[in-house]
Amino acid sequence: MAAVAEHPRPDRTVRGSLRRKEAWAGLLFVLPCLVLFAVFRFGPGLGGLLLAFTDYVPGDVTHFTGLENFRRLVADPLFWSALKVTVVYTVLAVPVGIGASLGLALLTRRAFRGSKLFRSVFFLPVVTSLVLASTVFVWIFSTEGPWSAVMGFLGLPDQSWLSDSVLVLPALALVGIWSRCGYGMLILLARLQDLPAELEEAALVDGAGPVQRFRHIVAPQLRPAFFFLAVIETTNSFQVFDAVYMMTGGGPANASYSLVFQLYDTGFKYFDLGYASAIGCALFVLTVVVALVQRAVLGKEK
Amino acid sequence: MRTRTARLTAAATAVASAFTLAACGGGSDAAGGKATVTTWVYPVINDEKANAAYWSGLEKKFEKANPDVDVKVSTYPWADRDTKLTTALAAGKGPDVAYLIPDQLAAYRRNLVPADEYMPADAKAAYRPSALKAVTVDGRTMATPVLMSAYPLMCNKKVLAAVGADTAPTSWDELAALAPRLKKKGYYAITYSGDTTATLNMTYYPLLWQAGGEVFSADGKQAAFNSDAGVTALTWLKNVTDRGWTPKDLITKTPSIEQTDLAKGKVACTWQNTPAEVAGFWGKENIVIGSALTQQKPVAYGTVGTLALFKGGDTGAAGKWISFVAQPENVAGLVEPGGYFGARTDGTDLYPGDALQQATQKVLDSTDVGPLNTAARDVMGVLAPEIQSALLGKASPKQALDKAAAAADQIIARKR
Amino acid sequence: MAPTTQAPAAPVEPPSATTGPAPVRPGRRRTTAPEAPAGLRPTRTGKLVRAVLLALASVATLFPFYAMVVLSLHPQGAVELPGSLFPWRLTGEAYTEVLGARDVPRWLFNTVVYSLVSVVGVLLLASLAGYAFAKKRFPGRETMFWSFLSMVMVPYHVTMIPTFILISKLGGVDTYWGLIVPTLANAQAVFLMRQFILGLPDEIFEAARLDGCGELQIFFRIVLPLLKPVLATLGTFVFLWHWNDFLWPLIVGQSAEMRTLTVGIASLQQEQVPLNQVLAGSVIAFVPIFSAYLVGQRYFTEGVVGSAVKG
Repeated sequence: MAAVAEHPRPDRTVRGSLRRKEAWAGLLFVLPCLVLFAVFRFGPGLGGLLLAFTDYVPGDVTHFTGLENFRRLVADPLFWSALKVTVVYTVLAVPVGIGASLGLALLTRRAFRGSKLFRSVFFLPVVTSLVLASTVFVWIFSTEGPWSAVMGFLGLPDQSWLSDSVLVLPALALVGIWSRCGYGMLILLARLQDLPAELEEAALVDGAGPVQRFRHIVAPQLRPAFFFLAVIETTNSFQVFDAVYMMTGGGPANASYSLVFQLYDTGFKYFDLGYASAIGCALFVLTVVVALVQRAVLGKEK
Repeated sequence: MRTRTARLTAAATAVASAFTLAACGGGSDAAGGKATVTTWVYPVINDEKANAAYWSGLEKKFEKANPDVDVKVSTYPWADRDTKLTTALAAGKGPDVAYLIPDQLAAYRRNLVPADEYMPADAKAAYRPSALKAVTVDGRTMATPVLMSAYPLMCNKKVLAAVGADTAPTSWDELAALAPRLKKKGYYAITYSGDTTATLNMTYYPLLWQAGGEVFSADGKQAAFNSDAGVTALTWLKNVTDRGWTPKDLITKTPSIEQTDLAKGKVACTWQNTPAEVAGFWGKENIVIGSALTQQKPVAYGTVGTLALFKGGDTGAAGKWISFVAQPENVAGLVEPGGYFGARTDGTDLYPGDALQQATQKVLDSTDVGPLNTAARDVMGVLAPEIQSALLGKASPKQALDKAAAAADQIIARKR
Repeated sequence: MAPTTQAPAAPVEPPSATTGPAPVRPGRRRTTAPEAPAGLRPTRTGKLVRAVLLALASVATLFPFYAMVVLSLHPQGAVELPGSLFPWRLTGEAYTEVLGARDVPRWLFNTVVYSLVSVVGVLLLASLAGYAFAKKRFPGRETMFWSFLSMVMVPYHVTMIPTFILISKLGGVDTYWGLIVPTLANAQAVFLMRQFILGLPDEIFEAARLDGCGELQIFFRIVLPLLKPVLATLGTFVFLWHWNDFLWPLIVGQSAEMRTLTVGIASLQQEQVPLNQVLAGSVIAFVPIFSAYLVGQRYFTEGVVGSAVKG
C-alpha cells in the first residue's frame, strides 16, 4: 500500500497485529453479506440444479429421477413452443427497441429548448412498473380500444391484437419497447455526449452528409453501447413475464406462453417443482449461450 | 434406494434442510390454551364490507358460545386460489377450515378430515341429496355443503325482442336458429370466455355434458373429453365463433364486466353469468331465465360451496365451527347476497316472490358441479389453451382435443 | 436477488466489469449537451421534422399514462372512444371505492415496507462488504468477491424455486421477513459499492486509523459519509426495483393482507373489478414513484449512465 509509506513505519509486530486486525475487520464486514449469499444465492443456485434431477412435489415423497426431467423437457411440445415464443418476442423487441432508443437519442441529442423535458418524458416508462402499465395496455389493445381504432384507420388488422395468435407477440413487444426504450436512449445519449463535436465538424467540412456522418463517426462511437444494450435487452426479453401474466395469461392458444411463464405455471400452479427447476436450468444455459454468441458476433472489435 | 433418495432430497432443498425448523402443521397454535381456528374464505359475498361484516358477526356469535375457541376468518381472492392454498399447505401455514368447491375436495382429499367425522346426523339428513352427492369422494362425505348455485341459460329480454323472440332458447339448435337473425340486428347470440384462468366448469364443460360427454373416463384414469361428444361440442362452439355469433376478444382475456358486450346489452344469452351480475346493466325486468341448455341432455353448471376441515389443527373446535356456520339461520347471510341457494331443505325460502330465483332454483336438479378428479384443475390448464387454438382455427377441434387429452393423460398418470 | 422481470433502470454490470477495476463513479455528470456547433445546427426543415417526430414519440409515450389517469377518473361504465378520453364528467368515485372497500391502503403500506427496508438493508450490507472488498486485506477476498459477482450471471428464476422452498420451510411465507430477506443478497450493489470505494484515497482511512478510530467508527464516521452520492443513486434504484417487483411478492405473499401494490393490482384485474377501479389502483401505485422521479430525476438518470457506460 503506497499510502502507508507516507506515515512513520510501525514496527513489525505492531504491523502484524494490525494486519490481523484488518483481516478480522474485513471478514466481519463481509460476513453478513456472505451468509445471505450462501443461504439465498449459492444454496438455491445449487439447489435449483439438484432439484432438476428429482420429482419434488411439496408434501410428497421425493425420488431421484436422474435425467428424467430433461428427457421430458426435450419431448415436451409446450417447452419448445415456449422457447419459440420467447425467441420470437426477443427478436421482435430487442432490435426494434434499440432502434427506437437510437431514434430518441438522436432526436434529443442536441440541447434545445425543452430537450431535457423530452428526455424525462421518454424515460418515464422505465420507472413505471409493467404490471401497472399492463392494466391500461389491456384496454388499449382490446377490440374497441384505441390501438384497434388506429390500426383500422391505417388499414391494418383491427381486431384485438391480444386475441390473435400471430399479433399477440408484436403487441407484447410493443409494450416491452414502450417500457424499455427510454433506458436505451439514456445509455446512447451518454455515449454520444462523449463524442467530440470537432470530429463531426471536420466531417462536415469534408462534405459528408448526415447519413455518412452517422455511419462513419456516430455509429462507431456507439458500438460498445449497442453491444451493451443488446446483451442487457436480450437477457431482459428472455425473462418476459409481467406483461404476459397481466395481459394474455400465455394465450391465445399458448401463443404468448413464454419460458418464464412456463416456469411459473409449472412451479406454482402445478407444483411440479422438479420439472420447473429443469426449465430454469434450460433458461440459464440459454441465457449464457446467447450472451456468448452476442459477445462473439457483436463484440468482435472490442 | 430409499435412503439415497432421502439424502438427495435433503441435498436438493439445499440449505433448507440444514435450517429447517419442524414445519408447523396446520395454522393453529394454541395461544393461551385457546384453540385457534383459521378459516379461509373467498368473496362469496362480493361486497367486501358486507363480507367482512358477515364473517365477523358470525365469529363473535360463535366465540360467545364457545369462549375457548378463537376463530380467525380471512378472505382471499378467487384468482389463483389453488396456488395459494397449496403453497400455504406446503409451508405448513394452511388453514384449519376453508371454503372449497367439489373438485377441490378431490384434489385436497389427503389433507382433509371427512365431514362424516363431525357432521351431526340430524344435519346430514337435512341436505339436498344432490348437494351431498357433489361432495362425496370415494364414498365419503368430504365437506359440509353451505350453498348451491345454478347457471341456467339467461337471456336479455330486450335483445330477444329485437328479433321477435320472447323466451330463452332451450337447445343448441334453437340458439343457432336465432343467432343469424341476432347478428343481422347487430347482436351477439352468446358470450364465451376463453380466458385460460376461467374455469372450464362454467364455460366449455356444460357444452360437453350437454352433448353427452364427460371430462374423465369413468375410472378417472383417462381424459374423455376428446370423445365424439367433445368434438361435437367444440365444433359447435367454433362454428358460433367463426360466424361472429360471440364477441371474439373474450377468447384470450376476460375484461371487467362493465366493459363487455354483455354489459353493454349487445349479447342475447349467456350460461356463464348470474342474474346478480347483469341486473345492474340490463335492468332486472329484462332478465329471462331459461332452462339448462340441451343437445343430448339438459345440463347446467352449478356449484356446491362447502366448508372443509383440514388436518393438523384442533379438529374438534373446527368441526364445531363448521357445523355452526352451516346452520340455516347462520348461512343465510352468506347465501342470499349472491343469489345462491341453501344446501339444506330445512331453511326458509330465501327468495319468496322472486320469479328469477324461483326459475333458477328449478335448475338445481340438472346441475353438474364439474369432475371430481385429483387432476381436474391441472387438466383445465392443458385443455383451455387447446380450446383457444381450435377457436382461432390453428387446429381442428379433433386435433386440439386429442392433443389436450394426450397431455392430460400424462398429468393424470403423474398425479396418481 | 435481481429484479424479476423488469429491471429497467437497474445499475447493471458495466461491460468493463471483467476487464479491470475502473472505478465507477455515479457522481455528477454532464447531462446537457452543448449547443450544436454552427455547422451542425439543424435547418428550419430539420427543426420542423424533429419537432414533429418528438411530438409523435411523446404522445406515444404519454398516452398510456393519460388514459390511465382519465379513465380512472370516469364513473364506472363501459369505455367509449373517443368520448371517454376527454377529461370531463370526472369523479373520484373509483378512488373512494379503491381506498375504502379494497385493501389498497394496506398494499401501499406493504410496498413501502418492502421497498424501504430493502433499501436500507441492501445499502448497509453492500457498503460494508464493498468497503471490505475494496480496502481490507483478508484471506479469500478475491475468491469471495468474484463468486459474489458470478451470481449476477445466474438468472433470478433459476434460484427462485429453491429460495421459495427454503423460505416456506423456514416459515417465511406470507411474512415481511420472508419477502425481504432473500432480496438483500444483491450482487450488483456489492459490486458497485466496491468499485466506488476503490476510487477513494487510502490516506483518509489510514489517517483515521492512526487517530485511534475503531473499524466500525471508521466505517460509520468516514466511509458512509463519503458514499453519499453512490448511496443516493443506488438507493433510488433498489427502491425502484422493489417498488415494481412482481414475481417474488406474487409467490411469497399469500393473503390479501400481505400483497404488495403490483400483486394487489394484478389481483384486482383478475377478479374483474371495474376498470376504473383497477386503473385508480394503478395510479395510486404510480404516484409515489412519479413524485420521486420528479424530485430526484438526477439520481435515476445519473445512476443509469454512471453505472452502465464506462468502458
